[in-house]
Amino acid sequence: MLALSSANPTQAPVTRFSAETCCLSINQFHLAYAGKTALRDLTLDVPRHRVTAFIGPSGCGKSTLLRAINRLHDLNESVTHHGQIQLEDQDIHAPQMNVTELRRRVGMVFQTPNPFPMSIYENVAFGLRLQGRLPKRKRDDIIEWALTSAALWDEVKDRLHRSAWQLSGGQQQRLVIARTLAVQPDVLLLDEPASALDPISTLKIEELIRNLKSQLTLVLVTHNMQQAARVSDYTAFLQQGELVEYGPTDQVFTNPRLQRTENYITGRMT
Amino acid sequence: MTPPRLPFSRQPLRLIHDRIATGLITAGGVGVLLAILAIGVFLVWEALPLLTFGDALSLNTLSPLAWGTLKAALAAMLFATPIALGAAMYSALFMSKRLRSRVKPILELMEAIPGVVVGFIAGLLLAPWVEQQLASTLLVLVWLPLSAGLAGGLWYLASARVRQWLPLSWAGVRLMPWLAIMVTLALWLAPLMEQAWFGGDLRRMLDQQYGLDYATRNALIVGIAMGFAVIPSISSLAEDALADVPANLREGAQALGASRWQALRKVALPTAGPGVFSAVMIGAGRAVGETMIVLMASGNTALFSASPFEGLRSLSASIAIELPEASPGGMTYHLLIFAALALFIFTFLVNTLAEVVRQRLRQRYQRLGGNR
Amino acid sequence: MAWLSRPLRARATGSLLWPWLCAASVALSLLMLATLLTLLATRGLGHFWPAELEEVTLHSGDTVIGQPVREAPLPNAAGVERLYFTGNRDIGGESWRWVALDDIDTVAVPDDLIRLERAPWGDFIGRLDEVESAGQRFEDEAAWAFVAHAMTLPESQRPIAQLRLTAANGQIITQPLEGITRFQAPNAMSWEQKVVAWSERIWQFLSEGPRAANTGGGVWPAIFGTVLMVILMSVIVTPFGVLAAIYLNEIAHQNRLTRLVRIGVRNLAGVPSIVYGVFGLGVFVYGIGGSIDSWFFEDALPSPTFGTGGLLWASLTLALLTLPVVIVATEEGLARIPDAQREGAVALGATRLEMLTRVVLPMATPAMLTGVILAVARAAGEVAPLMLVGVAKLAPQMPVDGEFPYLHLERKFMHLGYHLFDTAFHGEDVQAAIPLVFATALLLVLIVLVLNLTAIFLRHYLRRQRGNEC
Repeated sequence: MLALSSANPTQAPVTRFSAETCCLSINQFHLAYAGKTALRDLTLDVPRHRVTAFIGPSGCGKSTLLRAINRLHDLNESVTHHGQIQLEDQDIHAPQMNVTELRRRVGMVFQTPNPFPMSIYENVAFGLRLQGRLPKRKRDDIIEWALTSAALWDEVKDRLHRSAWQLSGGQQQRLVIARTLAVQPDVLLLDEPASALDPISTLKIEELIRNLKSQLTLVLVTHNMQQAARVSDYTAFLQQGELVEYGPTDQVFTNPRLQRTENYITGRMT
Repeated sequence: MTPPRLPFSRQPLRLIHDRIATGLITAGGVGVLLAILAIGVFLVWEALPLLTFGDALSLNTLSPLAWGTLKAALAAMLFATPIALGAAMYSALFMSKRLRSRVKPILELMEAIPGVVVGFIAGLLLAPWVEQQLASTLLVLVWLPLSAGLAGGLWYLASARVRQWLPLSWAGVRLMPWLAIMVTLALWLAPLMEQAWFGGDLRRMLDQQYGLDYATRNALIVGIAMGFAVIPSISSLAEDALADVPANLREGAQALGASRWQALRKVALPTAGPGVFSAVMIGAGRAVGETMIVLMASGNTALFSASPFEGLRSLSASIAIELPEASPGGMTYHLLIFAALALFIFTFLVNTLAEVVRQRLRQRYQRLGGNR
Repeated sequence: MAWLSRPLRARATGSLLWPWLCAASVALSLLMLATLLTLLATRGLGHFWPAELEEVTLHSGDTVIGQPVREAPLPNAAGVERLYFTGNRDIGGESWRWVALDDIDTVAVPDDLIRLERAPWGDFIGRLDEVESAGQRFEDEAAWAFVAHAMTLPESQRPIAQLRLTAANGQIITQPLEGITRFQAPNAMSWEQKVVAWSERIWQFLSEGPRAANTGGGVWPAIFGTVLMVILMSVIVTPFGVLAAIYLNEIAHQNRLTRLVRIGVRNLAGVPSIVYGVFGLGVFVYGIGGSIDSWFFEDALPSPTFGTGGLLWASLTLALLTLPVVIVATEEGLARIPDAQREGAVALGATRLEMLTRVVLPMATPAMLTGVILAVARAAGEVAPLMLVGVAKLAPQMPVDGEFPYLHLERKFMHLGYHLFDTAFHGEDVQAAIPLVFATALLLVLIVLVLNLTAIFLRHYLRRQRGNEC
């Protein structure tokens, strides 16, 4: 399934997948904040229905890449970029691309849980209401389905109309995931989703991530190496805005091709 | 378990709505901001015809008013600054947290009292009273700080139990009855002292020996009344500056053995100095522009006099009295608009300066170690 | 403190004297505020209390009947004199009388003294002799009962009657019943009756128009004018202030220019209110109002319709004056909302408009409300600009009436603050008007304080809510 188009051991490998398994395709993507380069000539493919983890030291650009896939940088005028990001063969920066539709198809979950100051129900219904009117029955069904998928339904079904801010941190994060799932995205981007949570909540989130890959494609940014090893199928190691190594998680963790990768994974980074 | 597909009917409309709304907000926002900034443009435009009159004398009619404005502001600042800064230092550094959370809103309420009410009390009640009891008033002004010091001294000599019962952190409130008693005492003593030292009538003595006239409504009254009005704004701004001094700085000094007061004077005050200064400037800006209090408490006599016992007339009060009568396009009209322009420029400059200083200070605090 | 050693002395003055002086500053500020409020409350409310009337016999044999007001030392001699309010302007010409305490022989508080409030001449203080109505004469008890009953009827149903009254100097006058607005015998009233009379008078003060050159009656038109003007102002200022704040905080590029504009807006809050009044007069009244007149009301010229101060221009001027308050408060509210909330909404596919209306604005509502309330509080107490753009000492017509178009934006209106200023400084009988001025001042302060307290509580609530979020 993995088809390497380049195997030069000193250069960053370009990892490509055949078209039917590739969901997101990033091609020579370059991004700068106010003239300062944050991502340099990035090329990689993210396979469908798999969990792909981006790892790397702080400031390596992994979160920036994630936000670029959602075009969240549109809100910031000082960001410039070139190169391509394709979602199912569509360039996400193409003029005919509807950015709100893109963001519906590419869900994003942030580091700290950010439920809106509304009821649990309204939080999950938020994205649905943006899409248009739905009969209440149907909306209720989708909300139940989304909360069930996020493994939260049993905990909140009796208090759907209470404030979402009363939930615990882990529950809030799962609520945010449910909120995103409700609009049925193709891709779910997770930006260090468990870094603000306690170990038990973290485990629950990880289990959820593993279960969700039957439904959609997941991209996970994490600085927790064990987490990447536990949940991801593929791992990309980024450093200073460049892709250093990308491959199946087992291979990257047990038998990295580059010394730099091994240093980072084993904690010998300077 | 897959839910039914979602309908996506509203897509194009949503984007159009967003465009329209963004356009409207931008237009409205820019329009409002321009309207506000138009004030300056208007004033300059309407003051320009003064040049065509080419009469230098006309500006001379404004100079006693400008003097009156400055005199009133100065009197108010002399009264307000020590009290406001004292209050700011006390509530930022000595006051108990619980008390502070209650006193702060009360001072905000004090700021909200309309100028017309303060002016009425000053002009109709305080002014005649002070005229009759000039010696008592002056005595109270001197006696109050002394009595506060006396309270401090007594507290220092008191036993530990009394000290625990009356901690410094609550003194801001507990001193109120003490001060009230002291004022009463001063009022009771004043006639005796006036008899002994000033021949029974201070006002007559001032008139005969120093040639000082006494007007019922004068700079002293304006100073007290307007001082009352600007105390809260100065003190709350200064307090913010002092309280935001990073705690680690003060604690560092205290860890080195400095007393609380020394820590305040050597560390907090110099660090927060610019903020305190900008608070005083903003207070001065308010005092210069205040209209109703000056109008009601100053007597509105355009004089060049430095005596605190004589009346004055300020720019703002002149505008309020004369502009409705002035025919548009006439010289008085343009002259008064020029006066308004002067007030506008002065307060705008003072406030900008204060704001810039405050922003610098905020950056410095962030560098010095962040939040409270 | 010579007995203290030098370093100790320095330390004592440093750590004792200065902190206590600072503490005294706080105490002094609070004390001044408390004094002011107490003064307003006692003098403002006390005026409505049915005060006892004294009948004073002097050594000279003269009799003075009146309400004692205050005492002061004699101007040129030892001793104290007392000021009496004696009313009866139509008889003696003077309604106040100073009486030296040494001149007083006896002071009595007889029950049969009455106090009338009348339309043309102000208060009458003296005795009721008899009442003549429809050819019938009532004396003593019957006269009292007649008048007391008549005063309970609505004005239109009162019988036509003549009262024969005796003043302190023995002069007898005849007073028609229709001119009387209040009939009291305060000395004969029980405590409960006084409380009832007191609340009735407060109600009259709030609900009636001014009488007798502002020395009597109430301030209803001024309350109405103030409230109407403030409502119009907030209708104007709220949308525009919020719009400007949203633009500045959410839409405009955050660069040097926005920072400058922000500082400018902040500073405009510190520009003297009279300057806004000048702007309102020059631009709204003479500029826009003059143009409207020459286009639409040409036949009414040269007497101006919109080209003179009026309700609309006053509201607009105050709206401009309070815009910075609303903008700054709203902006602070917006800035406090974490970006995570905005990104959360956008990441779900919301457009900017949807993000603003569904997430950001609901969260910023308390802040906006705080801003608007503070603006209203400021506008309610502001007088100086109004003197230039449309306040009147006595507005002949209310700005709202049954005549089309019902709301008359061009009319002048009355305002509590200006009413206070005008009565206190330009009234005919300032002495007599002062109690009412106190009541007006108390009312104004109460309105402003209640508004401010609401804003403070809202902000408190806002902070608590934010505390939950963290």
